[in-house]
Amino acid sequence: MPSDDGFIEFQGVTKRFADHRGAAIDVVEPLTLSIARGEFVVFVGPSGCGKTTVMRMVGGLETPSEGAIMLQGREITGPSREKGMVFQAYSSFPWLTVLGNVRFGLRYRRDLTAVEKDRIARHYLDLVKLTPFADFYVNRISGGMRQRVAIARTLAADPLVLLMDEPFGALDALTRERLQLQLLELQKTERKTVIFVTHDVDEAVLLADRVIVFSARPARVLRDLRVGALLPAERSLDLQESATFRQLRQEVLALIRDEEERTEAAELAAAS
Amino acid sequence: MRPVEAAIRDRAATATKPGAHDGGGGTVASAPTPRQEKAWRGLFRFRTPVRPDIELWVGIGAFAIVLGAWLLATESQLVQPQFLPSPLAVVEAWWGLFQNDYLSDIGISVGRVWIAFAASAVIAIPLGMLMSSYRAVGAFSEPLIDFVRYLPVPALVPLTLIWLGIGEGSKIALLWIGTFFQLVLLIADDARRVPKEFIETGRTLGAGDWALMKDVLFRAMLPSMVDSLRVTLGWCWTYLLIAEIVASNSGIGYELWTARRYGKTPEVFAGILTIGIIGLASDQLIRAGHRRAFRYLA
Repeated sequence: MPSDDGFIEFQGVTKRFADHRGAAIDVVEPLTLSIARGEFVVFVGPSGCGKTTVMRMVGGLETPSEGAIMLQGREITGPSREKGMVFQAYSSFPWLTVLGNVRFGLRYRRDLTAVEKDRIARHYLDLVKLTPFADFYVNRISGGMRQRVAIARTLAADPLVLLMDEPFGALDALTRERLQLQLLELQKTERKTVIFVTHDVDEAVLLADRVIVFSARPARVLRDLRVGALLPAERSLDLQESATFRQLRQEVLALIRDEEERTEAAELAAAS
Repeated sequence: MRPVEAAIRDRAATATKPGAHDGGGGTVASAPTPRQEKAWRGLFRFRTPVRPDIELWVGIGAFAIVLGAWLLATESQLVQPQFLPSPLAVVEAWWGLFQNDYLSDIGISVGRVWIAFAASAVIAIPLGMLMSSYRAVGAFSEPLIDFVRYLPVPALVPLTLIWLGIGEGSKIALLWIGTFFQLVLLIADDARRVPKEFIETGRTLGAGDWALMKDVLFRAMLPSMVDSLRVTLGWCWTYLLIAEIVASNSGIGYELWTARRYGKTPEVFAGILTIGIIGLASDQLIRAGHRRAFRYLA
């Protein structure tokens, strides 16, 4: 049973899609889950398992087929500024400058004056260390910087929950590491509730307070690992060398591998 | 630009080492010689980019070859001037036309094209965006537009004449029909190609439908939309000629048709070239504007 003080509550949430013949495909099995305020939750699982769908339902970009998702006790019915989203690709607008993109996060706030919006935008630009690039168009900056622009823009909008859909998935390994550390750094001051989807197990264990491992489609929670209780609060890349980290990583990897082998066997059986 | 600069630098480097040959002996001879290549070689290599000024000269060369062949054919009197007048006769005819208030004919034609084109763009842009945004609008209007799109425009000339007479109205209506139905589908496609991540980002930042269309969809599709407009503007000129030939007493098409009636082949050529030049100029103008306005894409 979900606890009463859950910040985000999944209450028996399912999702079915129709395939090209109109037959129903179960993507998410009844899911009941509770996420606390300020928690950094990472969803991992075999590819195509429905973890992104679960996150998109929190964002209001998909509607549950059954059940409901509550945010601070109110049911999520559609997208809004309360649920900020960072995508892997096309995350920032090419027709706007770096500062323009961050300021876009505040565009639909009626409670702020133009001066305040400018100040907040510059603050978040500074937080992701992009102030020198304020007037650059985003096509002029690297992929890693573009993702930082997207993060700054989403934070500037001051969402209750930050949803990140493989935000570092398209970056090279070194840039990805740098951004992971910067995100941890940001999280120290911002203390946002984050749902982060990735297929990179190292990334999951490094960033998370809590790793949720999903099964192959239809998605079901295989393991709910509170890594925050096992790892030090101060995270660094050296942590990856520690025994605890490696053990956690092995545990998650083994679960995902089993799932992937199981689905492949099932697909083979279905094909023959 | 890069390989050329590199080649120049390499050449300069070898030139500033005069003592190299009388010095160390065998090692110098084995040093690799810098690859110096003519910049135009890339023209003949599969999918190889070439310097823009070289491309421009090739394009000018194409015009020169056509003009040369034309001169050769007429000056050698291989072809009767009644069929193919010499370029000089065409220039003369052109001069004559301009003496005879050809500019106002051009003005009238350009005006017709722009009024009709603006009228179709003003409706096609919002309608195309709505068609891609709301299935109600799309499902309702797409089959209808597709049907009209396949009607040959000349077949509609009698109707426009019956409905609107032989005044400006019928000409502009014909041009409008010829461009609007094509343009609206192109615009809808441009809107559809905007990545859904852009729309969803807008949504999660608190944008409503109207704000999404204005601040995200329109801005994201603008560069490809301008391209669609440029292409349809060209088609508009095609229909202008049909409209002006059928029923008109002014405009480039009218002058062209009148010249034919009196067997004045040089004037016919002058008319055709006028349209070609206006077309080329407006196309290049829009392209240049596109490059300037959408510098952020580079």
